[in-house]
Amino acid sequence: MDPLIKLEEILFIVAVVSYLVSSFLYIWYLITRSDRAVKLGTIILVLGLAAHTIALMLRWVSSGHAPMANLYESLSLFGWGIVLFFLIAQHFYPVKVAGSLVVPTAFLITSVAGVFYEGPQPLVPALQSYWLWIHVTIAMLSYGLFALAFGAGFFYIVQEYLLKKQYQNVVAAFVILLAALGIVLGLWAGSVWAEPAKVADELGRIDKIYTGEDTAKILGGAGFGLLIGAILGFVAGKGASRPGFSKRLPSLDVLDEVSYRAIAFGFPLLTIGIITGAIWADQAWGRWWGWDPKETWSFITWLYYGAYLHTRLTMGWRGKHSAILAVIGLVAVMFTYLGVNLLLSGLHSYTPT
Amino acid sequence: MSADKAAAIKKTDSKGSSGSIFIPAVLALVLIVLNVVLSIAYYNNQDVYDLRWVLAILDLSIILSFYAMAGKRVSHLLVSMKLALTLLLVLAILSIIGTILPQGEKVINSGWIDNPLYNFYRHLGLFDMYHSRWFLALLFLLAFNLIVCIYNRLPTAVKHVMRPRIDVKDIFITSQPLSAEIDAPGGNTMSLAREVLSDHHYRIREGNTGSVMAEKGRFAGLYSLSFHLSFLLIGLGAIIISFTGFEERLEIPDGATASVPGTELQVTNHGFQMETVEVRENDRVVGYRPSVYSSDLELFDNGESVARKTITVNDPLRYGGINFHQASYYRTGRGYVTVLSVNKSPGKSLIYLGFGAMMGGIVLGLYFPHRRIWFKMGESGKLLVGGRTNRAKMSFQQDFDNIITELRSSK
Repeated sequence: MDPLIKLEEILFIVAVVSYLVSSFLYIWYLITRSDRAVKLGTIILVLGLAAHTIALMLRWVSSGHAPMANLYESLSLFGWGIVLFFLIAQHFYPVKVAGSLVVPTAFLITSVAGVFYEGPQPLVPALQSYWLWIHVTIAMLSYGLFALAFGAGFFYIVQEYLLKKQYQNVVAAFVILLAALGIVLGLWAGSVWAEPAKVADELGRIDKIYTGEDTAKILGGAGFGLLIGAILGFVAGKGASRPGFSKRLPSLDVLDEVSYRAIAFGFPLLTIGIITGAIWADQAWGRWWGWDPKETWSFITWLYYGAYLHTRLTMGWRGKHSAILAVIGLVAVMFTYLGVNLLLSGLHSYTPT
Repeated sequence: MSADKAAAIKKTDSKGSSGSIFIPAVLALVLIVLNVVLSIAYYNNQDVYDLRWVLAILDLSIILSFYAMAGKRVSHLLVSMKLALTLLLVLAILSIIGTILPQGEKVINSGWIDNPLYNFYRHLGLFDMYHSRWFLALLFLLAFNLIVCIYNRLPTAVKHVMRPRIDVKDIFITSQPLSAEIDAPGGNTMSLAREVLSDHHYRIREGNTGSVMAEKGRFAGLYSLSFHLSFLLIGLGAIIISFTGFEERLEIPDGATASVPGTELQVTNHGFQMETVEVRENDRVVGYRPSVYSSDLELFDNGESVARKTITVNDPLRYGGINFHQASYYRTGRGYVTVLSVNKSPGKSLIYLGFGAMMGGIVLGLYFPHRRIWFKMGESGKLLVGGRTNRAKMSFQQDFDNIITELRSSK
């Protein structure tokens, strides 16, 4: 194997492990408020980011294009972006507590990238354009902002239950969140475990053939994920159900504002992402819009957040209603980003995986 | 007296709405008959007539006339925010269904074609969701909704920019979100205030009653208007393209020539080229995929050679408003056949204009807050200063505080 690719793999693993260790330190900080934990966590996070940066640059060099062409590259870049933005934010604002959510998320995304690992490959003809990095960077920034809105919205709901001392609802919120995450991860893990047979067509597009056994494995994975997620959610929810915990979270006003601001910036970016996509599609295929699944789902997401902004700006919704909308919105975002590529076929289905 | 008046108003109101049931009822009846006749014609000869646009508008008109028959005002429905939100969500749900069910040609290879209710579902538009009459009708309704909302808000928005409120009373200034009163012993306090605000890049506008307004980002309030107008431009562009544009697939074997339907153009394929790479799965080659493919094309207009270019997927040949895109290719026993997508989109400039308006709206809305500060000598003999912004309140507060400090220190 090419030594550069080997080095990239090693550095990527170093990054994933650093993010994991750093995640524990940030969570430890949330529980104990130990300054030493968060300092160590930050140092390890910075080292992980450095390794990750070099890994991405090596990938850029060995493939000859920006690392955005398949699910591994895209997710890896996304995880890298989250860590980078968080470290910048932490330098300027008092957001260390948020690290207990952000760093594990970055770890999760980066490690899922590893599951979809693929060696460097040249770009498929449709992606060979300078629009690639413009379009993808803007789309990713909008996804990141919607994820931030989701996080703030979720903690708004938790904070409100904590202040009302409705602890059973706090537990329920964590159980639902982590169980849903568990199902999604379980579905992925199940699909990887099942290894369905693959057939390639004339254009190199690959179709997967699922047997009954494969389906059982995938459903089993989802069930297992649900169980683990629910248990973890119960533990986390019980842990958070203390009067003192609400003081560690930002105030309701701040959470509401952050969630709204993130969407107010994410929505225009999504709009620009869709516009650049349309211009690119016109250049590549001579059509603006073809209702390909990725296009359609980005349109659905856009409609959804457009509706959110109208409820907020013209109907005066605030607080819990807005927070619930921000939380649900991430489902559409995740489907647009990942679900379409994994479950539906179309022009955006990256490379044959 | 006033109760009588109220009763009289109520009476004429109810009379007005009950009297007007007749017209929408007749209208609805005519529309329904027309709709049924055209629907039958459309579904029997789907390939011959493309009546979806007409049917979509008819569907919409019927729904609106029923709404009017129920005694409600269509104009109230069309301005309502609830309608807009409902439409956004219904369109989102229909779009989701469209991504789950096979669309267009894909339905031919799916199990749905053997379903006994296949034709019924097809007529419902389930397999061509985004071009179905229902989807179009909802898009039209959303466009009407948008037009009415823009029409309602345009005058106020323009007035806001062209003739802003400059002459204000003391209480107006002191009740602004940010306000201050400054002791002003000297006679030149007003001109000092003008100077300080000019230094902070505010535009000074003099009133007639002694009050002055200083503002920044006066066009920022138009961001929403610009953003929403852009949809109408894009929609209009899309309609023009779908009526006057065309899209053809041309399949040309190596060395062959094909005519572009509806034009005097002919294209010769001088050769299709392709490079491939291996697709590996755990170090095992599972297939090949193309890394680059291109066609060497020569274009003839009335038999005269007018252009020659090697096109690739992201690099089409453009001639006289007609574009030749490398769409695909296939292989036969005798070699490759290149597949071109030939299209003409005359509404393009409108769509670009729409994108521009959208971006303009976004930039105005995000980066140019509309800040206004009023000041005048109050009846109390103090200088009254009050201001507001439509967004970015924190940085405006900072700006405002700096201005007040400067005014206080330099008196």
